[in-house]
Amino acid sequence: MQFHAFDSLYLEQLRAGDFRTQEHFVSYFSELIRLKLGKRLHSRPEIEDARQETFTRVLSALRRDDGVRQPERLGAFVNSVCNNVLLEHYRSASQEAPSAEEEATVNIPDPALSAVDIIANREIQRKVRHILDELPEKDRRLIKEIFLDERDKDEVCRDLGVNREYLRVLLHRAKKLFKSLYLK
Amino acid sequence: MEHSEAIQLMAAEKYLLDELPADERDEFEEHLFGCHECAMDMRTASVLLEQGKAALAEPEVAIVREKDKSRPGLLSWLRPAFAIPAMAALLLVIGYQNLVTFPQLTRSLNQLKVLPAITVHLLTYGNPSPLVVHRGEGFLLNVIVPSDHHYPAYVADLRSPAGRVESVAISASADDTWSIQVPGANRQSGTYWITVYGVTAGGQNVKVGVDSSFQLQVQQ
Repeated sequence: MQFHAFDSLYLEQLRAGDFRTQEHFVSYFSELIRLKLGKRLHSRPEIEDARQETFTRVLSALRRDDGVRQPERLGAFVNSVCNNVLLEHYRSASQEAPSAEEEATVNIPDPALSAVDIIANREIQRKVRHILDELPEKDRRLIKEIFLDERDKDEVCRDLGVNREYLRVLLHRAKKLFKSLYLK
Repeated sequence: MEHSEAIQLMAAEKYLLDELPADERDEFEEHLFGCHECAMDMRTASVLLEQGKAALAEPEVAIVREKDKSRPGLLSWLRPAFAIPAMAALLLVIGYQNLVTFPQLTRSLNQLKVLPAITVHLLTYGNPSPLVVHRGEGFLLNVIVPSDHHYPAYVADLRSPAGRVESVAISASADDTWSIQVPGANRQSGTYWITVYGVTAGGQNVKVGVDSSFQLQVQQ
């Protein structure tokens, strides 16, 4: 994913509905929003609804004259819109009737997978398997039990005779190695 | 939260492990959404964990050995009573593969062929050269699209000589020639028309270029 500067040109292209800019925007922020929402909401449908709502509101705001004024703070704006969506969810406020403008921007799709993406995904899977295969059994088990089995982290660390700092460093190293392979 | 502070705290790892207190988590997220380096880092970690979970979820083959003195040891399997039937079975399998399975696979491979294809241009009205296909055979329609459009998605309609309209999937790509794999069906010979639409964010179809035609000749 190449970096695009969040500048005036980027915002103009986003406002104009430029396909590639929109695709980059959704792709860039989707995972961050999902991670954020995943730590606060508990069901996939809720997370997906909140993700869609966040993008809908951001894109609606961009189209207003008094919308995003500082392009370089686009990321912060997305984060704060997401916070507002979460607040409303928590308050279980009754839905106001959406404006005509917002109705036109429902259904923000997931970044679509093309045939090239599918092939790239297979390559990523191969790299991840390679990293996991290189790990000692204990480390592999640590990752599996915490992230796949979702066992209590303290229990898993105790069972495997490690502390939380070890777990953080393991994750940091795996991430660093994968990044070096992923970005090649 | 400043970038250097996030690095020093191992905030990304703590965030992924849900170890940050709520206020630090909010501060980190505020930084994350505005920092490209941390955003890339988090995106990469998320991919690693998702793919890692998928890889680790695959079943492992576990060999469990139980020591039982009453059961015969490993070397007992080499006795003629067991070894000869086992070898005979192995020979049967090898023979079947060599005489049946592999020749079948080879024949299948040799039968693979390239689909008939034709190119049409959405800025002109058609291709007069006929495309010849066998009855029931699919074909590839390469569509040259104009460059002045950008939509989140595209769809295409194929109209038969009888006026029947069939929706077909179109694979958009970065270059100007896109492919439509038209499935095999009981088609008639004649003039077919292809129309490509861009789908807006609001779900409206907007025609791209003009309707373009080609001649299909179906052989029995």
